[in-house]
Amino acid sequence: MGTRLPLPLSLRVPLIVAGLMVLMGVIASQLVVTSLVRSQERQLADLAQSEFATLSTTLAPLIQREDLWEMFDALDRATFQAGRFAPAAASLVDARGQVIVSTRPERHPIGSPGVALIAGAVPLEDLSYDNARELISVRQVVEYQGRPVAQLVIDFNASELAAERRRAWFWLIAGNTAATLILALAGYLLIRRVLAPIGRLSREMSRSGGASQTFPEAMIPRHDVELANLYDTYNAMIRAVEARGQTERRLAERERFVSLGRLAGTLAHEINNPLGGLLTAVDTLKRFPDRADVVGKSADILERGLKQMRDVARGALNVQRNSQAGTPLSAADFEDLHLLIRPEIERKAQRLHWQVAPDVADCGRLPAGPVRQVVLNLLLNAAAATGPGADLGLIAQRDAGGLRLTIWDSGPGLPDHLRPRLLSDAPVEPGDGLGLRLVRDLVQSMGGGIALGQTAAGQNAILIDLPLAEDGTGTDA
Amino acid sequence: MTGAVLSRRRLTAGLAAALALAGPARPQGIVERAAPLRIGLTPVFLDNEWRVLEALAAHVRGVTGREVEFVQRRTYKEVVALLLLGELDAAWLCGYPFLQHADRLSVLAIPLWQGQPRYQSYLITAENRRASGLADLRGDIHAYSDPDSNSGHLVTVAELIRLGERPEAFFARSFFTFGHRNVVRAVARRLAGSGSVDGYVYDTLAETEPDLVARTRILWRSDWHGFPPIVIPSEASDSPAARALDRALFGMAGTGPGRDVLRLLQLDGFARPAPDSFDSIAALMARVADRG
Repeated sequence: MGTRLPLPLSLRVPLIVAGLMVLMGVIASQLVVTSLVRSQERQLADLAQSEFATLSTTLAPLIQREDLWEMFDALDRATFQAGRFAPAAASLVDARGQVIVSTRPERHPIGSPGVALIAGAVPLEDLSYDNARELISVRQVVEYQGRPVAQLVIDFNASELAAERRRAWFWLIAGNTAATLILALAGYLLIRRVLAPIGRLSREMSRSGGASQTFPEAMIPRHDVELANLYDTYNAMIRAVEARGQTERRLAERERFVSLGRLAGTLAHEINNPLGGLLTAVDTLKRFPDRADVVGKSADILERGLKQMRDVARGALNVQRNSQAGTPLSAADFEDLHLLIRPEIERKAQRLHWQVAPDVADCGRLPAGPVRQVVLNLLLNAAAATGPGADLGLIAQRDAGGLRLTIWDSGPGLPDHLRPRLLSDAPVEPGDGLGLRLVRDLVQSMGGGIALGQTAAGQNAILIDLPLAEDGTGTDA
Repeated sequence: MTGAVLSRRRLTAGLAAALALAGPARPQGIVERAAPLRIGLTPVFLDNEWRVLEALAAHVRGVTGREVEFVQRRTYKEVVALLLLGELDAAWLCGYPFLQHADRLSVLAIPLWQGQPRYQSYLITAENRRASGLADLRGDIHAYSDPDSNSGHLVTVAELIRLGERPEAFFARSFFTFGHRNVVRAVARRLAGSGSVDGYVYDTLAETEPDLVARTRILWRSDWHGFPPIVIPSEASDSPAARALDRALFGMAGTGPGRDVLRLLQLDGFARPAPDSFDSIAALMARVADRG
């Protein structure tokens, strides 16, 4: 592929039209000039033949009588004619190649050698305009009573013809240039007008910083079937994109509800667990209100159980509050997460490995809510995907770019059919997404990136990188 | 006389036939109206001088009541032939052809130029040519005016003979232009290296065509000779035509057109011939004839 000038279509097409016009102009000019030259050749031949015929008739008897003066006078008068192709000089050369008489006696005196005169002239029958300059030297044999008596050489002044040709060239070039410019300009304006709807479409399609809009019916050029089809296709495409967006928004909303449901389930389970102990303690208090040791023990049980419930409730509350208030991420958020996930882990007899580096507390510029949702979702997924007795964990650490979260488990890793939900923007079908698209949306909203990998120990992991810079861009998977 | 003139004039076959059919009876009207005066001219002197001819015709008509018909021929020989045949009532000739036929021709009048009935012959050459005399023109291409012209031929030939030269070999080539103005043109255009020309015509041209004359210069002037005269056939010297012409010529200054003629020709009037008017030309003729 060669390099092309980055010219817009509305300029390129008129330029091509102008180029074609110039080409046509050149061809037309060439044809006209060729025609003019042929016409001039015919005129020239006619004029020359007429001149030779007249002069030969006059000169033949004078040559016979050797009447030098009359020969000179006849030739001289001929050269004083005005006209487009008038003789400028004339000479008579005899059979021995000597000048009989010439109208330029200072150059060709009587009796001087005239061979060069003959050699420099073209025979009348071979006369053409190709070898024409301002002066054309032509010769013909003069006969008297059927006998050649001399050669007549006439220098015709073709400057008028040459000037005529120059004038024709000038006017052709000027006319063609003007016509080309006018037509190129007209072509430019016309093509611009024709291409205006395309330009509008192109501007609308490349609009940044806002969603493209469909064109109202009034703006669709119905008189042009092709363009109208294009506009209709564009409108249909915009509507399809909007519909897909709405679908995805609905899906994300649903996933959010799913996520909330799961959280609620965990919460209920967590509250339900101590409830049995608490109710037993309350029952004990009722039965042994007078036994101080039993009351004290039961009160302790109640206190611990209630504290546990309070912590769980606070953690859940924080999830909801932070997601709305944009509270900055802190070490307490990781503690909350640990609190929230631990019961689920214990319930499944799994082992949770919690590695949160102390300096993650500096990640204040990251919003707490989305980070908590992401980690909680992925940990819950890991717990659900691996069986009882499995290992799973969180590694939160700072790196050069920001915060890196590694959620790992000892399971087989994220199934292939779920990977696009987490790793790409490809449309997703409603189903068991487990909030993966929600995770992706949240990470992307923070400018972060998601990748699949392994820990140093070889466990499958999901790697989340969240940049700290406010305008930082995350590394997309 | 009128009838005789007419019969001689109408020699063309058609008109001769017409006259034959008419028999002895003349067509009516011709008898009563005087025939035009026929005057012969050559371009040796007058070349396309239609204004002169118009003025001259008007003058003659005014003085004599007769129309004038000008008969122009290229050479003196042709005019002399017509004159001798009686086709012309008069002719303006050179002294040389007159002398050649002095037995049959008579001089009616001699024009006065610069107050004198005489003129010179000039040898002319290109204005920038280095030559001081006739001897320097050896090997030239030379232009004469008319073989029967005194100033345009005889004078130069006689002068070459006087110098001991052979006129036919002195010049590399010579030709006749049959007009003094043409001699000047031939030299001015460098067709000829030198030329023999009538001094009166040359001086007149110097005023009427100064650009032409300026390209030439006078190399040599001859002696004075009798000015070209108005000649009539001797046999008709007392004819009404001759008398009418006599009146017209010597009354030239008396009419407006006549004065125009004199002004245009730069002449002062006319004089009666003296016995020795053309003796100098006769001497030149004798010199040439003596050489054989």
